[in-house]
Order: sequence, then C-alpha cells, then structure tokens
Amino acid sequence: MSAAPSAGAAANKATQDKTADAAKDVKPAAALEEDDEFEDFPVENWTKEDTEVPGDNTHLWEESWDDDDTSEDFSAQLKEELKKVEASKKR
Amino acid sequence: MDLIFGDFRKFYEVGDGYGLAQTLSPISPPSQPERLRNFYRSTNFQNVQKDFKYQILYDNSAPFKLPADEGNGWVEVYVAYWKAVGEIQIAEAAANSGHKASWMKVYEAWKELTNMLHRGYMNCNFGSWTIPCLYVVGKYLRVFAIKADEGAASSQAVSATFQDDFNPDSEKNEKLEDAARQLNRIFNLCLSDRASLEESRKWGIYNIINLLFKTYFKLNSISLSKNILKAIRAYRGDMPPLESFPLAHQVTFKYYVGVIYFLEENYVESEKNLTEAWTLCHKDSIRNKELILTYLIPCHLLTTHTLPTLALLSPYPRLQKLFLPLSRCIKKGDLSGFDAALIAGEDEFVKRRIYLTLERGRDVALRNLLRKVFIAGGFEDAKEPGAPQVRKTRVPVAEFGAAISIGSKETMDNDEVECLLANMIYKNLMKGYIARDRGIVVLSKGGAFPGTGV
Repeated sequence: MSAAPSAGAAANKATQDKTADAAKDVKPAAALEEDDEFEDFPVENWTKEDTEVPGDNTHLWEESWDDDDTSEDFSAQLKEELKKVEASKKR
Repeated sequence: MDLIFGDFRKFYEVGDGYGLAQTLSPISPPSQPERLRNFYRSTNFQNVQKDFKYQILYDNSAPFKLPADEGNGWVEVYVAYWKAVGEIQIAEAAANSGHKASWMKVYEAWKELTNMLHRGYMNCNFGSWTIPCLYVVGKYLRVFAIKADEGAASSQAVSATFQDDFNPDSEKNEKLEDAARQLNRIFNLCLSDRASLEESRKWGIYNIINLLFKTYFKLNSISLSKNILKAIRAYRGDMPPLESFPLAHQVTFKYYVGVIYFLEENYVESEKNLTEAWTLCHKDSIRNKELILTYLIPCHLLTTHTLPTLALLSPYPRLQKLFLPLSRCIKKGDLSGFDAALIAGEDEFVKRRIYLTLERGRDVALRNLLRKVFIAGGFEDAKEPGAPQVRKTRVPVAEFGAAISIGSKETMDNDEVECLLANMIYKNLMKGYIARDRGIVVLSKGGAFPGTGV
C-alpha cells in the first residue's frame, strides 16, 4: 500500500478528524466498561484549548493551615483544657 | 457484508487506520443499528471464506489490488470477525430474553480474531498504519474476558452449592489472565518491530500498554506493570518520545504510571506524572479528571502539605465527599475530627487505595494544631520600644498536651506527648528541641514550623 501514510502521521492526522465518528461509537462501549477505571477518551487527540484552564493553576491548591481562625477562641479553649488536664492529674 | 467491505476498501485506499479499525468493532454504530446483524446474515459457515476472499481479493470494482499474502491475511481476520459477531449475537439475544449468555464463547471467538490479526502482522505484511485495529481488538478482548469471568463466577455460584471442594479464587479471573497474555503478545509485536520509526508498530505501544495496565490493575497484579515499564525503558533510544503520541495515550499512560508510583509510596514521581496527566487531560473527561485527582490530592498533602481549594473540587461532588471532611479537620488542626473522618470514609479510602496515604496526613493536622498553640502563646515583652516583635519560643509540653487532648475524652501523658513532638521534629515539620528536665519545648526563632510563615 504505497498510498498509506506513515503510522506516525496517521496517528496525528486521522485522530483529529475522526472525532465525530469516534464520539458516536463510544456510548455503547461505555456500557461494557467498568465504572471504576480510567475511561477511554472519546477522541484520540486534542489541542491545548481543550485542556483545563491553561497556565494558572495556583488557585487550585491552598496552604493546609488556617490563620483566619480566631486565635482568641483557641487560646480560651486551650486554657480551659489545660485546667481540665491539671485538675485530672491532681486527682 | 457489502457495507463492511465497502468501508474496508474506502479506508484501505486512503490508509485511514482508525476508520479501518471501526470495521472490526463488535458494536453496531447507532446510525446503523442493524449493521452487524445484517453482516452476519449476509453469508454462512459454508461460504464465508469464499465470499470474503472474493470481496477482498477479486472484486474488480476495488480501486486497488492487494498482494495475495496481505489479502489472504485480511480474509482470515474478517472470517474470524464474522464468527465472533455470530457469537456476540447469540449472547446478546440470550441476555435480552433473560437467558444466560455465553460470553465464554464470545471470548474464545474474539481471541481467535486477535490471533488472526497478530498473524497478519507477523506473516502477511500488514502495514503499521493499520495498528488501530489492534487497539479495537485488544480493547474488546479485555471487555469480553471480564464478561466471561463474571458469567463463570455466577454459574459456579449456583453449582458450588453442590460441591464442597470448590475454590472460588483459583479460576475467578481465568479469561482475564488469558487476555493479559494475549495483550502481552501484542505488546511484544509492537515493541519488537524493526521497521524504521515512520513505519513502525511502535506507534501502537502506549495504547497497548494502557490496556495492559488496566488489566493488571483489575487482576490486582500491579507489580507486573513494572515489567512493562522496564521493557520500554530498555528500548528508550529506539522509541518515539511519549510527547509525540496522541494525547489520549499520553494521559492514560501518565495516570497509570502516577498511580503505580503512588502505590509504591514514591509521592514525588507520582505527583509529577499525575500533574502532567491532569494538565493534558481533555477538559470534558470529568470522570478521568476525578480519578487523577483522587490520587493527586493525597500526593499534594504529603509532598507540599497543600490542600485542594473549593474551586478545584467544585465540579466533583464525589471528591468533595471524599476529601472535604478531612481537609477541614487538617486545616483546623482538629485531631479527633480527623480520626473520625478517616473512620467514616475508611471503606471508600481503602477501596481507592488511598487510606494509608491519607492517614499520614494526620501529621499535617498535628503540625497545624501545634502551630496554633505556638501562635496563641503570643509575643515576648519588647525589650525596647520599636524593636520587632518576637514570638515566645518556649512552650510548655503540657500546653501541647492539652491542645492534643481537646475534643478527645482521654488525656495523654507527657511521655506520649513528647514522643509525638519528637516525631514532628524528626520529620522536619517543627524545629526545636525538647528540654525534658524543664518540661518545655524550645522552638527555633527562625521558623519554628518550616514553610508556614512562623
């Protein structure tokens, strides 16, 4: 088959314009699949625009501690607990 | 028959491997719901070989002529496909009428198709552009193996009541294990291709690896995945770089590699692979993104001690349920709340294999609690006006002990508290030393809790 493009080119080219067909065929296949495992993508390839929020990912993760917590409340709670602990030790 | 071979000629002429692969799908497209039924009825056991041979090799209306060996190879493939389609229709008809479907026969027929295709590449010069056929055939080999094993399990459950020496585990995954062997053959078929890269079956390697990963995970033999990774590492110089494969192959591969590292507790490598999978993932594949985050979130907790924001979790109610209670307790430094949340989610965490990792998040919760004690201690009295404020760095062990016992019924004695503190210092979550004789902890003036701003 001299008309056949190379596999590499086929992988890149064919995937883009196969989207419509492949997407249609995926539905019944999904029924056969486990819901617990990584799913087949409806298309083979896509562009940067089709990925999540390109670039800035900083707002997705935050520090694990919380300084907004009113530290007054905590101090009071801590004092209370200290008293309790000491009282129980004296007994 | 005409439909399928019409497509065959059409896609073969232009060298469209994905199109060609669709002619070997075991499912009729929604636009032609009768396609497979009609295909099966278009011939019979007696004539199938002759009919298909005519279609592929001798039909003069075809725009091209296949070499005899290549053409005969495809004849065998489609004959095997036709037989498999027959078994599928019997199984589906049985299932629809409430009878027991024999997926076992479907599996065997589909395996024969797999063998014919394999032979085509080995002996009949099938072009490497046709490798998407291997994807489709490999994918459903696994699907039918799982169905066959499920069927076997349910029928054995019935007969098991009559025999005592029945061991349910030994043959539970018989067909899936066999499918893993077949997929491994396809893996080697792709890996060992010596043709130049443009013409190589190596372009199929990651798709097949992903099928193998899925199979090994299902079989709970995740360690076998490592052999695959070793094999491709050995061929690294001879392999196109991962970045030049379709994104669907890349993302799936990175996800599984990330999970394999995760299970080995190599959280740094795991985070790297999962983050790449996350960034490259198609934005509409919500379920896959959810799966990536299921492992990426515990990774982040351990590597950088960071938590997912509500913005990150908002599209995934399942992940909110999974991680929000724990996150809240970690942030507040609420140890008893953390323990309760861990117990409440235990089944789900264990199922996802993230329980042990999350359990280690307790250190972060404890760090945050101790940090609060430190901050609540306030500042030293200023020695001279205008000097920068310095936090009190001497904290009684008893104060930490009291903080730890908040919310729990029991109090902890000082030895135990010291043990916890020593651990925190050892893990570099807290800096300082314990002055045992005086019952105080002397914390570092320059960053008592590294990385947290105090």
